[in-house]
Amino acid sequence: MGEVIVVTSGKGGVGKTTTTANLGTGLALRGKNVVLVDADIGLRNLDVVMGLENRIVYDLVDVVDGNCRLRQALIKDKRYSTLYLLPAAQTKDKSAVNPQQMQKLCQELAEEYDYVIVDCPAGIEQGFKNAIAGASRAVVVTTPEVSAVRDADRIIGLLEASGLRNPQLVINRLRIDMVKRGDMMNIDDMIDILAIDLIGVVPDDEAIVISTNRGEPAVTNEASMAGQAYRNIVRRIMGEDVPFMNLESDSGFVSRLAKMFGFKKIK
Amino acid sequence: MSENAVVFKGTKEGLHVVLKEEMSMQEIKDNLEKKVKPSKKFFEGARIVDFRGKRLSRTEYDELKDIMQQEYGMLFLGEYRELTAEAAQDKDETKELSSSYVKLPYENVLSDDALFVRATIRSGQLIDYKGNIVIVGDVNPGAFIRATGSIVVMGNFRGVAHAGAKGDYSAFVAAFNLQPTQLRIGDIITRSPDGFINKQAIPEIAVVKKGSIVVEPYLPNK
Repeated sequence: MGEVIVVTSGKGGVGKTTTTANLGTGLALRGKNVVLVDADIGLRNLDVVMGLENRIVYDLVDVVDGNCRLRQALIKDKRYSTLYLLPAAQTKDKSAVNPQQMQKLCQELAEEYDYVIVDCPAGIEQGFKNAIAGASRAVVVTTPEVSAVRDADRIIGLLEASGLRNPQLVINRLRIDMVKRGDMMNIDDMIDILAIDLIGVVPDDEAIVISTNRGEPAVTNEASMAGQAYRNIVRRIMGEDVPFMNLESDSGFVSRLAKMFGFKKIK
Repeated sequence: MSENAVVFKGTKEGLHVVLKEEMSMQEIKDNLEKKVKPSKKFFEGARIVDFRGKRLSRTEYDELKDIMQQEYGMLFLGEYRELTAEAAQDKDETKELSSSYVKLPYENVLSDDALFVRATIRSGQLIDYKGNIVIVGDVNPGAFIRATGSIVVMGNFRGVAHAGAKGDYSAFVAAFNLQPTQLRIGDIITRSPDGFINKQAIPEIAVVKKGSIVVEPYLPNK
């Protein structure tokens, strides 16, 4: 029996889909059987981020309505054979599915896969309720902005109210230079308010934009800091104890090279 | 009149047993028996929260508790309490208190119902209570705490508080770190000045003085 993890945030645009894609790919990289479920019916884009848009025949609503078998709707990733995607419908809306149906679907998937990762839509309405219905674990994504943190706080409250205790936090798009200048909320401030376990900090990285547009999750990019951050999050999801990386040091090529060869940080 | 010497009063938590002040122990026991015996089945397993009314000594308390548990099969949840500030201040009771009780030598002692919440109160959550509210945890921005009495937060307070919601200006809001989005006491509404960030985390209390809300440290020496 696998685990069903919902990736949620409340606010839009903080990186739920990117995080879902990277966690899924990262887990598949480590040899796990993974299925990604896009619960954002009507505004699907996990398929685009994964570069699998052109392979969609059936979608989540088709499965729930019984138009096809679950197997038929699952799309195998082009790079990793243990990674699958269940895309959302684009021509319907959130009311096409109810929480009971989602719960049943997630249960079915969890029987066959090690990890079922549900990409939750923004907001707290029906789409959110659908997405969390089948989940046993939640990852809350936020960015260092007051509005995103406020929404994350609301979401954590709602998750707890629906029995999803101890959600884990991913802080996305952190710019350490701005934090240092005092222009951005720092990690401690956010933890102080949200009071949940931090599972990873992803720096703001151009590589993410590039890889998202190409349909190749950044987690596969060995040179990218964000990719490394996602690889660490994947290991923490799997229960490993990984120290948080130093976001300041290895930004330059030289220092990264030096680190690779085991030298100390060059100042 | 001896009819009402012992009254069972239902509340959210369970039953309270209200004992008349002037009754002796024997009268109480007799009355209890009279009341419970005919409907023993009904009272079996009933949740009794505590006694109210007559002040009992420890032996009296334990004796009654024993009778209710052993003979009538009720579930007694209460515990004997030494005289608390609450009891000492209760005006009606003060007269009745025997000389062994010492009135507390403080002003600003009040007694009322209180709701204790041990949790982080998050954005979108509302806690509304007729009485006082004590939060053991943080209250985050976007959360709303409303009480007809006072509000005490044993943590960071960053939400909106409305104390004395029914118009009680003597109500207060106190927190270990008081940084509210907005404060209301009675019908007075106030907020922190724009751009004001309170860096120092010291315990503070908000009270009404001369018609406006004033925030001040309640441990002035810290």
